[in-house]
Amino acid sequence: MPREHRTADPSWGPRADLDILNRDIPRVDGPDKVTGRAKYSHDMRAPGLLYARLIVYPRTRGKVESIDVSGALAVPGVVWAKALKAAGANVFYQGADSVLAAVAAETLEALDDGVRAVKFVVKADSKAVVTHKGALANDAPVVARQRDAQSNISGLRERGDTAKTEAALAASDVQVDLSFEIPVQHHVCLETHGQVIVPDERGATVYASSQAVKGEPQGFAGALGLKQSEVRVITQHMGGGFGSKFGGGIEAQVAGQIVQETKRPVHLLLTRDQEFSLAGNRTGVVARVRAGASKDGALTALAAEVDRLGGLGGGSFAALPYIYKVGEMATKMRSVHTATDPNRAMRAPGHPQASFVMESVVDALAYAAGKDPLEFRKLNLPDPIWQRQLDRVATELGWPAHPHHTAPGKPDARGIARGIGFAVSAWGSSAQDNAKCQVVVFPDGSVESRTATQDLGTGARTYVAAIVAEELGLQVADVEPVIGDSDLPVNVASGGSVTTGSSAPAIKHAAHLAREALEAKLEAVLGAAVGGYVWKGGHVHVKDDTTKKLAWKQVAGLLQEPLDVTGSFQQSLHAGSIHGAQGALVEVDTLTGRVNVLKMVCVQDQGLPLNRMALRSQINGGMVQALSYALMECRVHDEATGYLLTGNLESYLIAGCQEIGELVAIIDDDEERPTLCGMAEAPIVPGQSAIANAIFNACGARLTTMPFSPDNVLTALHGKV
Amino acid sequence: MTHSDPKPEALSRRALLKGAGGVAAVGGLAATAEARSVTTLEPAPVPTLRGEVEVTLSINGATQTLKVEPRTTLLDALRTRLEPALTGTKLVCDSGSCGACTVLLDGKLAYACMNLAIDQVGRQVTTVEGLGTPEAQSDVQRAFCAEDAAMCGFCTPGFIVACHAALERKPNGTLDELKHEISGNLCRCGTYPHIFNALQRVQAERQVASQQGSKKGAK
Repeated sequence: MPREHRTADPSWGPRADLDILNRDIPRVDGPDKVTGRAKYSHDMRAPGLLYARLIVYPRTRGKVESIDVSGALAVPGVVWAKALKAAGANVFYQGADSVLAAVAAETLEALDDGVRAVKFVVKADSKAVVTHKGALANDAPVVARQRDAQSNISGLRERGDTAKTEAALAASDVQVDLSFEIPVQHHVCLETHGQVIVPDERGATVYASSQAVKGEPQGFAGALGLKQSEVRVITQHMGGGFGSKFGGGIEAQVAGQIVQETKRPVHLLLTRDQEFSLAGNRTGVVARVRAGASKDGALTALAAEVDRLGGLGGGSFAALPYIYKVGEMATKMRSVHTATDPNRAMRAPGHPQASFVMESVVDALAYAAGKDPLEFRKLNLPDPIWQRQLDRVATELGWPAHPHHTAPGKPDARGIARGIGFAVSAWGSSAQDNAKCQVVVFPDGSVESRTATQDLGTGARTYVAAIVAEELGLQVADVEPVIGDSDLPVNVASGGSVTTGSSAPAIKHAAHLAREALEAKLEAVLGAAVGGYVWKGGHVHVKDDTTKKLAWKQVAGLLQEPLDVTGSFQQSLHAGSIHGAQGALVEVDTLTGRVNVLKMVCVQDQGLPLNRMALRSQINGGMVQALSYALMECRVHDEATGYLLTGNLESYLIAGCQEIGELVAIIDDDEERPTLCGMAEAPIVPGQSAIANAIFNACGARLTTMPFSPDNVLTALHGKV
Repeated sequence: MTHSDPKPEALSRRALLKGAGGVAAVGGLAATAEARSVTTLEPAPVPTLRGEVEVTLSINGATQTLKVEPRTTLLDALRTRLEPALTGTKLVCDSGSCGACTVLLDGKLAYACMNLAIDQVGRQVTTVEGLGTPEAQSDVQRAFCAEDAAMCGFCTPGFIVACHAALERKPNGTLDELKHEISGNLCRCGTYPHIFNALQRVQAERQVASQQGSKKGAK
C-alpha cells in the first residue's frame, strides 16, 4: 500500500527561483513563422478544393429586384453559384444581410469570372445614412433595426445628478468644454476572416481563423448539417484577430452550405474589401464634455453627452470618469445608428475612446488651472500604482527637464514644436474557471502539454510549453505544446485579456500534478516523499541531498505507460486588475500640421511575467496600434451613395515603419503579486490620449478630432479655414 | 508547350492585371454615374486573357513547370498553382499596398500580387521559403526569432524578404535608411521595433563576420 502523500498547492514560487519564466523566451513557433512554414487557414489546400467568394452589396440599403447566377454557372471551372437573397428582399450593410450571392470554382481565375458573371439589380435607398449628422437629420430615414424603432437613436442612459453636477460646474474655479469626434476604426487583421472546410470520414475538419477554437464546432456543425462531435476545428496559426474572430459569421454559413451541396473541400475567406465592410470595427464616438476643477487641482465636476456610433450595433464606450475620481458627474449616453455594419469587440472595446475623452479633459483642466499635467493626474488618480508608473514614464521621457510644464510651448524658427503628454490605463483581466490542460509524460521522456487554446500572435503556444518545462526542470524545447484544436481539453475564447489568466493556472496545475505523480514514483528509488525534490537542469534530486539524483530520462523510464494528468484552473494562481501609464514625446510641424511621434513609453503591470520578450512585444504592439489610431486611421463612407471609400490599405491607412519612433516597453517589476493575468488590452488604451496631450504641450493645439492628421492639426491650431 | 489559345480581347489596364478583384465596386460605381438608385454588376465588359498556358519558372533555385492563365499573378501562382503550394508568400491587400507578398525577382524586391506569373519566365523567383528553413535559417530569420519580430506572423514572410533586400542595398545603412528600405511592408500586431532590432542585429553580425574574414585573409 503506498503511503498517503501530502501534496502542496501549486504556486508560481519566488521569482528569483525561476529558470525559464519571467525571462526572455524565444517563441517556439518563431522558426516556422520566419520561414513561411507556418500554415494559416488561408494556406490550407486539399484535393478537389473549391475557392469560394461572397458577393456583397456595396451600398448601405436596398431592395433586391433580381439576382441571376446563370452566367456564373456557364463559366468553365465554376462549380457552384447561388443567389442568397430572393427578389423583394431588403439588403442591409450588416453581415449576412448584405450578401447577395456566392460562387465557388476550381481556380481563382474561374472564380473571378464567375463572380463577374453574376448579375444583380438592387434598388438602392435614396439616402445612405452613414454619418452621425446624417443619422440625426430631421429627414433621415429610420435605419435603426431595433424593433419598433422610431428614430436612429437607441439605448439612452442617464447617470448621475444633473442639478448637482451643474452646480458643481458653476462653482468650479476653472472649466473646460470640449467636443470630440472619433471615427470608426478597423481591426485590419492581415489574414481575413474565413476558413477552409474539408469533409472527411468523421464529418468535417475546419481550418478556421479563430480566437475561440474550442467553441467553433457548434457553429460549424449548424452550417454543415453535422453533429458537433463530427466537426473538428483547427487553428494552428492565425493572422490577427484583435477581438473580431469569435465564431464564424456569414462566411462560415455559406462555406458550410457549399460543402454540403458539392461534397468538396471549400476555401472561403473574405476579400480585403469585404474584411473592411463586414468583419467588424471599433465604435466611433461623438461627445461633448464640460468639466471643472478647483484651483488646487481637484476634479470637481463632469457633465458628458456621448453618442456611440456602432453602425447598426449599439457601440461601446467605457464609463466615465474613466479611471479618475470626480466630485460630481452626470452622463447622458446613447447609440446613434447609421446604416453601416455593427461594431464588434476590438482590443479593449470602448476603452481607447473613453481614455481619449477623459484624458483630454483632465489635461485641458490641468493647463486651465495652471498646473503641471503630470502632477494634476497623480492628484486625481485613485491608486498610487499609477502615480509611481507616471513618474517612471515622465523620467524616461525627460519631463523633469522639459522646458514647459504648465503652458504649451512655442514653435522654433522652422515652425517645429516639441511636447510631452501622458495618459493611464486599466483593465480587469478576469479569468474563466473552465480552462483545463492535459500533460502527458511518455516513458521515453517526451512531454506534451495539451489544451484547446489558440495563439493569436500573443505567444500562448510558447507558455503552454514553458510553464511545464519550468515545473519539471526541463528546457522549453523538451515540451511539445499542442494547441489550436477543438478536440483538446477545454480552454477559453481569447478575448478581454482572459486567456493567460485562465490558461496559465490550468497548465501550471497540470504540470504540478505530473510532478507530484512522478515524485510518488521516485519515493521507492530516491527515498524522499512527495514534495521532497528539486527539479532543475534536466535532473531531479532530493532536497538537501544532491547525490540522490536522477536524470529526466531515468525518471520517465520509471513509467510503465504514459503518465496522463489533467489540471484545471486554480484561483490561487490568478489575480486580475492591472495598471499602466504611457507618455509620448512628439514634434509638431506647425506649418504643415504633420505630427512626428519621436518616442513613446509604456509602464505596465500584470503580475508574474511568463515571457518577458513576448510581453514587451504586446506592450509595443499596443503602442503601435494606438499611434496608428491616433495619426492615421479613419473609415470614410461616401455620404451620398454609402460606398465605403476606405476599403483597402491604400485608402485606410495604418502605421508603417516610417511612423515608428523610439518605443520603450517597461514591465513594471515594482509590482510583485504572486499571481498573474492577461494584459493585452491595457497597453492599447492610452497611447492616442498621450499623443494628443503631447501635441497640446508642444504647441497649444487641443486635438479633439481623430485622427491627428495634418488637416485636423491645422484646424486645431488655426480654426476652420 | 501546351496552349489553350488565350484570346486577347480589347486590352485595358485591368486586363493586364488580373481583371476581377474590384469588379463589384467597378460595376457599382458605373451604375452610380448613370442612375443613383440601381446597382448592378452587369456593365463590366472587362476584357480578359483566358485559358491556361504551361510555363516553366525558376522558383527558389528549382525549375517548376505549372499551368497558369495569362492573368494569373505570381502570388496566385505560388499559392494555388504549384504542387505543393508555396504558401509562405501571403495575400493581404492584393493591390500592392502592404508587402505581405514580397518576393525577389532576379534579386530585386517585388510584390508578387503586382506581377504576372507568365512574366517570370527566365527570371529567378525567390520566396521566403528560398531564404531558409526552420532547420537552416538565414541570419535575418534567426535575428527575427531572437528579437521576437514575429507576432501573428502573417506579415513576417514579406518582411523577411524585404529585410534581406534592405541589407543587401544598405549594408551599413542607418536605422532611418533601413526603415525607408522596408517601408513597403505593413504589420498590424506592431512588431516594427523588434524588426528594427533584428535588422541592426544582422548588420552587426555581418560586420563582425566580415572583419574576421578580412583578418583571416590578411594572414
